[in-house]
Amino acid sequence: MTIHQVLFIVMALAILGSAIFVVTTSNLFRAALMLILTFFGVAGLFVLLDIGLFAVAQVLIYIGAISILLIFAVMLTRGMQGMVPRNSQAVAAAVTVGIIFAVLLLLFGPFRVTVDVARWPVFSLFAGNASPRDVGGIEWTPPNQPIPSVPETYIADFGRSLVDLNQYLLPFLLIAFLVDVVLAGAIFVARQRRPAEVIEDRRRQAEEAAEEAEAMRQAGMAPDVAPLPEGAVASTAEH
Amino acid sequence: MNFINDLLKIIGDFIAGIINSIFGFSPFLADLVTMGLAAIILCTFAALSFMGLTYVERKVVARIQDRVGPNQAGPFGLLQPIADGIKMFTKEDTTPAAADRWVYNLAPLVIAVFALTTYAVLPFAPGVVGTNLNVGVFFIIAIGSGSIVAIIMAGWGSNNKYALLGAFRTVAQLVGYEVPMLLNVLPVVMITGSLGLVDIINQQTTLNGNPGIPFIVFFPFSALVFLISGIAETARSPFDLLEAESEIVAGFHIEYSGMKFALFFLGEYVNALAVAFVFSTLFLGGYAGPVLPPYIWLLLKAAVVFFIFMWLRGTLPRIRVDQMHNLNWKFFVPVSIVHLVVVMVLMKLFVTSPALAQANGGILVTPAAQAAILFVASTLVLIGSLTVAARRARIMRLQEEAVLEQRRAENIAAVSA
Repeated sequence: MTIHQVLFIVMALAILGSAIFVVTTSNLFRAALMLILTFFGVAGLFVLLDIGLFAVAQVLIYIGAISILLIFAVMLTRGMQGMVPRNSQAVAAAVTVGIIFAVLLLLFGPFRVTVDVARWPVFSLFAGNASPRDVGGIEWTPPNQPIPSVPETYIADFGRSLVDLNQYLLPFLLIAFLVDVVLAGAIFVARQRRPAEVIEDRRRQAEEAAEEAEAMRQAGMAPDVAPLPEGAVASTAEH
Repeated sequence: MNFINDLLKIIGDFIAGIINSIFGFSPFLADLVTMGLAAIILCTFAALSFMGLTYVERKVVARIQDRVGPNQAGPFGLLQPIADGIKMFTKEDTTPAAADRWVYNLAPLVIAVFALTTYAVLPFAPGVVGTNLNVGVFFIIAIGSGSIVAIIMAGWGSNNKYALLGAFRTVAQLVGYEVPMLLNVLPVVMITGSLGLVDIINQQTTLNGNPGIPFIVFFPFSALVFLISGIAETARSPFDLLEAESEIVAGFHIEYSGMKFALFFLGEYVNALAVAFVFSTLFLGGYAGPVLPPYIWLLLKAAVVFFIFMWLRGTLPRIRVDQMHNLNWKFFVPVSIVHLVVVMVLMKLFVTSPALAQANGGILVTPAAQAAILFVASTLVLIGSLTVAARRARIMRLQEEAVLEQRRAENIAAVSA
């Protein structure tokens, strides 16, 4: 075994173990911490693939930002602490995940599915170039050509591909635009309102309340409360 | 090969040679032992410098505050760090009854690991670097953001409201100051065309026809903002809001004692020293320098930067939370973006390589002229932003004073009526 294989097994075990812990524990804070361990394992896999840039980006974005956000959400919702975050759909979830995993394995794994067209004639619709020896079953063909190594200049290539019109310029610009919109929206929602605006809002509320009361009086109903005095908080004084 | 200049490399090659001859039967084992030994040496260096720095910092701050500082243990109090170490080892190791035991006990370890990991990519002399990553700068910043997790673990695991408040403050501060830090590393990365620390240092030497000018001359604005953000990232005074003794007692490490507290302390100092090293590497030319051996140059530069940290700690009072956030989000981030755009355009306009000028156009200048142009632009951005900020602050102060004056007049009128 080479050191790469040892490291791969260690990281795969860390990813799987922590991922299972995340979905089985009832302590949400520990689940979030274990999710961080999972992210670390994935970063380690990126290192094994010789793409340090993605490994570091994984640490910076998923551990430095997204996990922190998750932990904050857990910390600030104390009501979730006593709750058992489970539901009764475990079987459905397991079946769905299993099917997706099988499909991905067949699509990208070193497998080739063959169908006996004589027995299942319906598959001849899909099998345009089926050879006579395809007689049902799953073939396993390990890849025999070596995996191409990552070029030395991959960071510069990656950077250029983001600003190249023929490659990923459009998705890059769309994402940049989306992030800008989100930032502007966040600032608009969280911005501190100016005192003049607050006063204007209160005045409008008072006017609306007064109009409503006037309309009710005209309709022959006695108003429940006195109309709000201008620019003031609702007074509950006896009258 | 000059013996004095390449001392570290010669010693390293010597040890590696011995290990290779012992484990000659298995290159895998030899690599493993060499790497493990290198990691142990780096961690020992960091831990020893932590011991030395606590003593130096106490002496320097004492001198600034007109005190003597530690002077009882040994000559000039030199044995004080050892006395402190013995005290830390023999203290009772307490655990709060309601603590989340796993998280509480893991937090000091995680913070120490994150602090020490930075040293793996720092170049100490030509050829003497733990691992010459091609994403070195990015790696250091990512690892810095990882230590936030450890502080949250400490704050939550202690099950103490002051610890949790400290953790909240930490996250707000550390996540925020990462942004100007990254934005001000970018000019250096752009002019070098590489994220690797060794490439950045080579760009500041006279190798390959470079002018041999450190990047602090190219980008004084970036250097200043990086230094201040670095102090905020390592939570040293005046940015030590997360352990403000007078407000939240001690913040996230209130429940820790003995060796666990010592590990937090170690994390803080090792991180601060790492920021000093990174600043010297990015902006002061790292180990490059005349006459003296390279490792001495790096240590000298880092020592000067660390002295600035101690100086600020001895001089400035702790700033308020709102001031800290205003400084970051309303000043550093927007001005850094403006600075980045200005520098980017100028670097595209004035190029130094004839091949690039042929391919993309632009005015061909000598490297020194490019440095001068960038220096002027960066300084103008710095002065301009400070002027705008000062003017705005003055207007706001005058408004506040006018409101106060009006209230005073109303009060006087009410009393006299």
